[in-house]
Amino acid sequence: MRSNNTKKRTSSETLDWLSEELKSSLDLVQKPLHMDEKHAELLYIKTVVDEVQLHQLVIKPFFELGHIQHVESYLNSLPNQQEITSKEQILLEMTKGSVIVAIRDDLLLFDIKKVNTDTVIQTIIEPTIQGPQLSLSEDITTNINIIRQRYHKPSLTVEMMEIGEKTHQSLAIIFDEEVVLKDVLETIKEKLKSINPPIIQSTTELHRLMNDKKRSLMPIMMVTERTDRVVYNLASGKVAILLDGSHSTVLAPTVFFDFMTSMDDQYSSYWVTKSLKFLRYLGLFSCLTLPGVYVATTSYNPEVFRVELALSFAGSRIGVPYSSFIEVLFMLIIMELLTEASIRLPKAVAGTATTVGGLILGTAATEAALASNVMLILVQAVAISTFVIPINEMSFAIRVVRYILLVFASFGGLAGLVLGLIGTLMYLTQLESFGEPYFKIPLQSKEAETRRSSL
Amino acid sequence: MSRYFFYLVFVNMVANVVASVPRILMGYRKEGAIISIIVSFCSGLIFCYIVTRFFNSFPGKGLPELTKKYLPRWISFIILFTFAFTWYIAGLITLITFSFLLKRFLTPDMPLLLITSIFLLFLSYGILMNSKSVLYTIEFVLLCCLPVIFIITLKAYTTSALKWDFIRESFMYIHHPPSFTAIAASTYLLLGGFNLIIFNRLFKEKQQINWKNMIFIGFTGGSILATTYFIPIGVLGFDAVGDIVYPWIITSDALRLEFFIIDRVLYIFLLLYLAISFVSVLIHWHVALELLKSIMWFKHIKWKKQNLTPYLFTGLFCLGSLKAVTYLTEYQLLEYTGYFLNYLFCSFAVMFGLFLFIKRRAKA
Repeated sequence: MRSNNTKKRTSSETLDWLSEELKSSLDLVQKPLHMDEKHAELLYIKTVVDEVQLHQLVIKPFFELGHIQHVESYLNSLPNQQEITSKEQILLEMTKGSVIVAIRDDLLLFDIKKVNTDTVIQTIIEPTIQGPQLSLSEDITTNINIIRQRYHKPSLTVEMMEIGEKTHQSLAIIFDEEVVLKDVLETIKEKLKSINPPIIQSTTELHRLMNDKKRSLMPIMMVTERTDRVVYNLASGKVAILLDGSHSTVLAPTVFFDFMTSMDDQYSSYWVTKSLKFLRYLGLFSCLTLPGVYVATTSYNPEVFRVELALSFAGSRIGVPYSSFIEVLFMLIIMELLTEASIRLPKAVAGTATTVGGLILGTAATEAALASNVMLILVQAVAISTFVIPINEMSFAIRVVRYILLVFASFGGLAGLVLGLIGTLMYLTQLESFGEPYFKIPLQSKEAETRRSSL
Repeated sequence: MSRYFFYLVFVNMVANVVASVPRILMGYRKEGAIISIIVSFCSGLIFCYIVTRFFNSFPGKGLPELTKKYLPRWISFIILFTFAFTWYIAGLITLITFSFLLKRFLTPDMPLLLITSIFLLFLSYGILMNSKSVLYTIEFVLLCCLPVIFIITLKAYTTSALKWDFIRESFMYIHHPPSFTAIAASTYLLLGGFNLIIFNRLFKEKQQINWKNMIFIGFTGGSILATTYFIPIGVLGFDAVGDIVYPWIITSDALRLEFFIIDRVLYIFLLLYLAISFVSVLIHWHVALELLKSIMWFKHIKWKKQNLTPYLFTGLFCLGSLKAVTYLTEYQLLEYTGYFLNYLFCSFAVMFGLFLFIKRRAKA
């Protein structure tokens, strides 16, 4: 009898404490339910709770069931009941959309969230011709649902945790227990525990925080919105991390070559895939080297190209008042500005930017003798080939590397360019993505290449 | 054997052009070069086999670990220091030769010091990486360059400028006894396996070199040796080839790609060999640095919790090469390279004594 009393006291105390904590917000609802000798009390935040479901699940049965004990056993057997560990946890859950029901001196907690972000949106960042056209939503449960619906295997494991000191967002680590590399998984978990940012808004931010190096250039995890890519990578042993509120996932560990594959590669025939891949690497190579080659061959080694070509380069540069390095840099920067402007501008104005930019990159610059014709073709080729890289983050990184190579080509001619390329290669080979080498040519099978004892 | 072992062997085979091997062989073309090549082919293969077998029996262990375990400290110190110095010089020769090459053929208006400095900038970054990354870099560079080099070699064999009569003429001197310098120089091609003294640390799996591997190495090594010697003679003429400092570079300039945007093969060749010789220096200096690190480690030179010993050695490497590149002339370089290759041949014979000793100690 006495223990019952204390229980009663604590439960009503907790209720009072909760309503005291949340008193300042207008959307707090504290509603007593009465019928005959049945009594219960509801406490929730109106704006985050699905009221229709609340009515269906809790309020209606309360009035329909005969005895208070029936009501309690009914509520206790609801699948969305949550366990209570402390007052603070209740408070936190309530802010996420849980409802407290006080019945017969007991406190019961139910998860009846209302989520408005669960609409699945179209793929916009990584479009493909074939393959699923819908990507993920911005709600984590919907996203887990989508992934599970595409990967029916009992060994698919979802682990939940919380991140963000202030926002307490949920985060899911998804992997296939059978194929995942155990030590990579451990590193990722440790890393996630060790970072504790006050707020975290998107998976890209998570990616940056999980990088060991403060100043990094290359992405070591892949941010993707495509469900087929997520499933493909889960099946090959990678770990996917989902964050609530973000419509993309991060995959780890990754290697450089992952960023050069499009999901279409899986769907087309062998030779089509191979030629498309070749085209993509050609694009990568040309957007890295073309500016440097231009500077080196016009200012250092005109004799390298065949005479006709060298002459037409030189002829096209007649009237250009500065060195080739300034010319390339000038046009490249205008091109970058144009790219950057068309990303950030509101859609209504974006058309103007491209028109004006097109004029500059078109004939106006050559007519004013500020750049040569060959140069213009080259800048446009560079711009186009940058867009060939399928993953956006990689193409941003490549854009930066291009300027470094340009500088080396301007200091050392073709020799500087080749050494710069090797330097970039060395930078890539010494990178690691969660213990896995980042740039290693996969000549053997996947199993052989990822074996621990091998190189 | 792991595929990375073959990369180590191949780099030396291909990079011989920059290490003045063709030039030395041409000097002995009337004094038994062909017999020397055959002798060195056999000795090189035997060397390669012995060193690989030795390290196969100690998987995951480099030479420093072995000498420290089985030899007294001071002997181990002397041996490792000598080896480190040898490997440093091997890299230095390639570096200086290529700097001269660039100065002469690609960027004549750039000061020599600037050319070398750009090299050193990237080399210092490269040799400080861990050994794994060095191997990945080698792999990528070789996979990019070897197909093109193969095509150029094919082109050289099929060009109309190649006169087989000259090659026949060179066979007329076959009865001359072999010369030691020529043997030492051409053995250099097959010495790539010796880089295992450091890189064996990475081959942790038990593996064994078998006869298929040896036939593969022998076949490629043999054909590269023959190409190195006979193609310049065939293209440039048996007499004229003696007057040329860089036989292979001039040979490549005799080739034309009529329909390509670059019509002189020389430039493609130079850029390819720039990459190859960079990788070659990278391997040699990485080995030298690791050897030095294993015998000298200064605990007190620290900055922001990072030990500066490797940086100190790298700085010394760079200073040494900047000094050498301004001091040496092309003629001296060639002469010293000859001496160095002779020394290398002898020192490896000494090395086998060391291997035998370690092996007996390990068994006991």
